Amino acid sequence: MSNVEFDKVKRPETIKLPFMLDFYPLEDAKLTGISQFFTNLKEGHLTTTKCKKCSKLLWPPRIVCSNCLSNEFEWVDLGVEGELYAFTEMRVGAPLGFVEDVPFCIGIVKINDLLISSRIDNAKYDQLKIGDKLKLKIVKLEDGRVFYRFIGINEK
Amino acid sequence: MRRVAIVGGGATRCGKREASWRDLVQEAGKAMFESVANLSPKDADSLIVGAAQPERFVFQAHVAPMVAEYLGISPRKVLARTELMCASGQAAIRYAWACVATGLSDVAVAFGVEKMFMPDMAEAQTNMTCVLDREWDGVNGLSAPPFFAMTAQRHMHEFGTTKEQMAQVSVKNHHYSSMNPFAQFQKEVSVEDVLKSLMISPPLQLLDCSGITDGAAGVIMVPADEARKYTDTPMYVIGSGQASIGNAVNNLASLTDWVPLRLAVEEAFRTANIALKDIDIAELHDCFTISEIIEYEAFGWCEKGKGGEFIEEGQPYIGAKVAVNPRGGLLGCGHPLGATAILQTVDILQQFRGQVPKGRLVEGAEVAVAHNLSGPANVHSIVVYSR
Repeated sequence: MSNVEFDKVKRPETIKLPFMLDFYPLEDAKLTGISQFFTNLKEGHLTTTKCKKCSKLLWPPRIVCSNCLSNEFEWVDLGVEGELYAFTEMRVGAPLGFVEDVPFCIGIVKINDLLISSRIDNAKYDQLKIGDKLKLKIVKLEDGRVFYRFIGINEK
Repeated sequence: MRRVAIVGGGATRCGKREASWRDLVQEAGKAMFESVANLSPKDADSLIVGAAQPERFVFQAHVAPMVAEYLGISPRKVLARTELMCASGQAAIRYAWACVATGLSDVAVAFGVEKMFMPDMAEAQTNMTCVLDREWDGVNGLSAPPFFAMTAQRHMHEFGTTKEQMAQVSVKNHHYSSMNPFAQFQKEVSVEDVLKSLMISPPLQLLDCSGITDGAAGVIMVPADEARKYTDTPMYVIGSGQASIGNAVNNLASLTDWVPLRLAVEEAFRTANIALKDIDIAELHDCFTISEIIEYEAFGWCEKGKGGEFIEEGQPYIGAKVAVNPRGGLLGCGHPLGATAILQTVDILQQFRGQVPKGRLVEGAEVAVAHNLSGPANVHSIVVYSR
């Protein structure tokens, strides 16, 4: 053993959930050009942008049309009912923040001819089938942000 | 455009390695340079490094100059890192090829590396969830297994593909990886083993999925007319193709018909001036068993929807219609993202040189393709090689 000095350094035992591990989008108008999407969602409406110039319905919502480069949009209500196009269940390998939810169902929902991926809540994998009717559900995060999910139409 | 040759290549053993990211880089670099006579790191004027997520897996950015430093390369023509997730290494190969072909570089190294085992594997899984559109798809827990599980479900639903057929892909690739000392998994598996393995994301079970893997590899490219200075057995890059459609789940061409792969195949064949029947070895991106089945179809070895029957009939084995993944594939060898394409390429080079074990040697092979998909199979990248 040499006679150099040994010392300890401290690091925090816990840190606040860092932005880099936050899956949910930032929704404030100061942070995104599509904050209207979240405002609409808070009122119970799943919406997206439709280009006023070329009429293309875009998902995810945009501020510039990838079809014609226009930036004039209207917000279109997609309704509250969808159809299950494909589904699976997360059983192993969930990311941090979702580990506690395992197992949970994930699906692709056909709504207004869009294919939107979503958590499927209140559902058991074995009881779901392609073509099932689904209903929109909105979840609130502790900090007030919102996101959409779907549930089986026969479930409560 | 100059013709381009690969004159050497080397790789690490893949798997859960007791090695740091930097250890992997050095190990593969040494193997690569030692595979070529009359060429030292100082001769390399360019380096392209395929690395998918070093920022998240090892908290390190600006990795291309770091690899250059560790390998003793001082690039004076082109230096860059390529990120195209699971095809990051294929992007490195395509750029290194373009650099040598255009005359921008005379000796270019295409390198790939990924260290994926982390102290907390939930963190590694988290990294994989920002590959798909994180705010709209990843947010729902859509990492690779659930996405490809739904792809498999749709293929089963639309075409009647079975879990047994999918399992047979895993059986074939583990058969070949059992003869590959560089592979992560060197044990044969049976259809029953696959069907009894842990359910990950139904219908995909553990042995339907490629591994989380540590590994690195590199190849050296020079103009074809200088290749003989370094080796008697160069391998030529004769063509390439790449195509992409959409990114978010809503904007893909189709879950089960990989249109961009068909476009990439067309372009690769056109530039290489070959036809399907010319391919002796196909290193295809079998990140999941269903992927390889859809790839048989998109390349055109069988009709759309008949990929399951194609493997059931034993067509993608050595000696049958085409040797698919005689290296052992991603299922058998593992999938260290940035390194995967380079590992495929090193193995093709060794195939052409007759340096692989007899049981997985494709005798007399003249033409090979290496293919990678990335993301939700919206991007497909292909390179064609000849002896």
